[in-house]
Amino acid sequence: MKLARREFTIGSLLAAGTAGLPIMVKAQEGKTVALLFDSLVSPFWVSGLEIMKEKGKANGWELLENISNFDDNKQFEQVKAMIARKVDGILIIQTDSKAVIPAIRAANEANIPMVHFNRPPAESDAYSVAIQADNRQITRDTVQFMVDEAKRRGGQYKACILIGDLGDVNAIQRRDGFFDIVDQNQDIIEVVARVATEWNADKAFAGLMNALQANPDINFLFTSSDFMHPQIQQVLETFDMWKKRDEEGHVIFGGFDGDDGAYQRIVDGYLDACGVQNLFLEVDMAFQAFQDMWAGKKPEKLLMDPGFVITQENKDQVRDEMWGYIVWEKNGGKPISG
Amino acid sequence: MTPAQTTRLDRPGLAPGLPLWRRLLLSEYLVLFLTVVYVAGMALIVPEILAADTWRDILAAMIPLLIVAIGQMFVLVVAGIDLSATSVLAFSSVLGAAVITMDGGPLVGMPAFLVVAVGILAFMAVGGAVGAFNGACTTRFNMPPFIVTLTTMMFFSGAAIWVTTLLTDDGSSIGSLPREFVFIGQGRVFELPFSLLIALAVGLLAHVALSHSLFGRWLFAIGINPNAAAVSGVPVRRTMFWAYVISGACAGLAAVIYTARLETGTPVLGQRILLDVVGAAVIGGVSLFGGKAKVLWVVFGALFLTVVDKGLQLLGLSLAGVFAIKGGVILLAAIVDAQRQRLKGRG
Repeated sequence: MKLARREFTIGSLLAAGTAGLPIMVKAQEGKTVALLFDSLVSPFWVSGLEIMKEKGKANGWELLENISNFDDNKQFEQVKAMIARKVDGILIIQTDSKAVIPAIRAANEANIPMVHFNRPPAESDAYSVAIQADNRQITRDTVQFMVDEAKRRGGQYKACILIGDLGDVNAIQRRDGFFDIVDQNQDIIEVVARVATEWNADKAFAGLMNALQANPDINFLFTSSDFMHPQIQQVLETFDMWKKRDEEGHVIFGGFDGDDGAYQRIVDGYLDACGVQNLFLEVDMAFQAFQDMWAGKKPEKLLMDPGFVITQENKDQVRDEMWGYIVWEKNGGKPISG
Repeated sequence: MTPAQTTRLDRPGLAPGLPLWRRLLLSEYLVLFLTVVYVAGMALIVPEILAADTWRDILAAMIPLLIVAIGQMFVLVVAGIDLSATSVLAFSSVLGAAVITMDGGPLVGMPAFLVVAVGILAFMAVGGAVGAFNGACTTRFNMPPFIVTLTTMMFFSGAAIWVTTLLTDDGSSIGSLPREFVFIGQGRVFELPFSLLIALAVGLLAHVALSHSLFGRWLFAIGINPNAAAVSGVPVRRTMFWAYVISGACAGLAAVIYTARLETGTPVLGQRILLDVVGAAVIGGVSLFGGKAKVLWVVFGALFLTVVDKGLQLLGLSLAGVFAIKGGVILLAAIVDAQRQRLKGRG
């Protein structure tokens, strides 16, 4: 064993010695910003990353990426790795609002600004800036348009809502925004189904299928995220309920996010309204927060994107602000997502 | 086979007279050497990988993985497998955090040392209980460990989410853990992670149990040939049962460190590290077919995987790049290991 140990030591030293050779370090101009996503499972995040890359490049920044795959501990490690790389800023999309707090503290200790994109952290003494869409208000506006449409058509409505993962504050706020409006209109709308999707398309499919089997007269449907549209379409087609606005039996349909599939369905007339998170604005706000912090300012901990609603009436006026439309247009006038 | 016999199998390759590369290939330090080579290569691109802070982070990240992998080693050595280790992490994280949380938990107002002690016991008891269930199903009902632990993995992963939903308003995670508990995962002693002391204790105990005790000899004997072991008087069922209990308890202890690091009991803790847990043991040299294991090998395997991860994190590449490089590095390690086995086979 003695011989092997000696050889191992010699080999290790030789290998480690190569690290001491003059190294090529890429010349870096401007700032380096880390983009730490927890996943890229929906078009919203994929588009968000693309927009960040474009805008970051335009700013002359070097961007580093890391995806944690929903692993809070791995994301904490990634934050530490970025601190070790002495980045100038960390943009993070965390999975858990509480588990991210040690990462914020670590960034604070290293004096590196941290911005949370789209999901704020839980309350703590650590300082970071969060950019978030005004989910509740955008949902209220979307559902209000749907209610107005229902009133215009007349009759009574049976409603169904597809709720997201209630561990995600965005899902809670969208659910609350829906009920804010529906509860004021109980004379014409009765909520007969609440489908807990946990942001899982398969659960959305199965849950909506069950809801429609139990309540085949559902004619008012809101989904807390557009990524579930393909499953919704599939289920409604099964029940022969996938109808355009001007067709008999149309289900008043509203969504949230504003992806390319949603834009296609607006154009086709299946979707009545969609709450849009202004992804371009949110990226601008996040990057501006970095620049403010680099300049020694201390922005508010929570900055809100007011968002907007795209409807059948205003689609031609507001679509340029809709990230899904840009994706749709770049893809030759058709959606990438289902 | 005894541990001594296992070591003898490794020795022929180390015999003097063989070329250096061959002796290195056959050495039990091969994985450690590959780690050094990887670090040296990475240092050309990201010199930060050589920084002391980075190595402190690597150590802190490796420790809980190492503890789960050591537990896994006890099961692998009897030719079993514990796929439920990751769900034990999640389930004990949630239940343990529920016990010690200062946000309406049952121990609010109790002395800190008591809270921490009860908390650690709760984490380990949950893990040990799941391990005992796995062990009982495997030994009493002769069920395949793969099926037993796969189903317990599914059950306890779901149970962790269900319990969290019951215990919290937002259904996501349990916070407000006491500072004294958080110290276990975040504290430092002489600039090293405090949890290193726990890992050293676990490693030492595991080494003694595996290589210097009758229990360890029974484990190896069962892993090589359970029928022969039974004929020789080894209490096969009882020994296997305790191997699963140890695996569960180790996962519970690792959950203590993970939970303390994140200051949060979360039902998704460790859900995606199963490959790392089994990989750390197997890459280090522990056999999936039983009868071959050493704590030091698991240390090397866990270190290798953690260093690979850290290097890729430092690179800040896109997801596709990370998958390609990590897959390539592990494949390379597997190829080298296969060559090693081939050479060993030739004697």
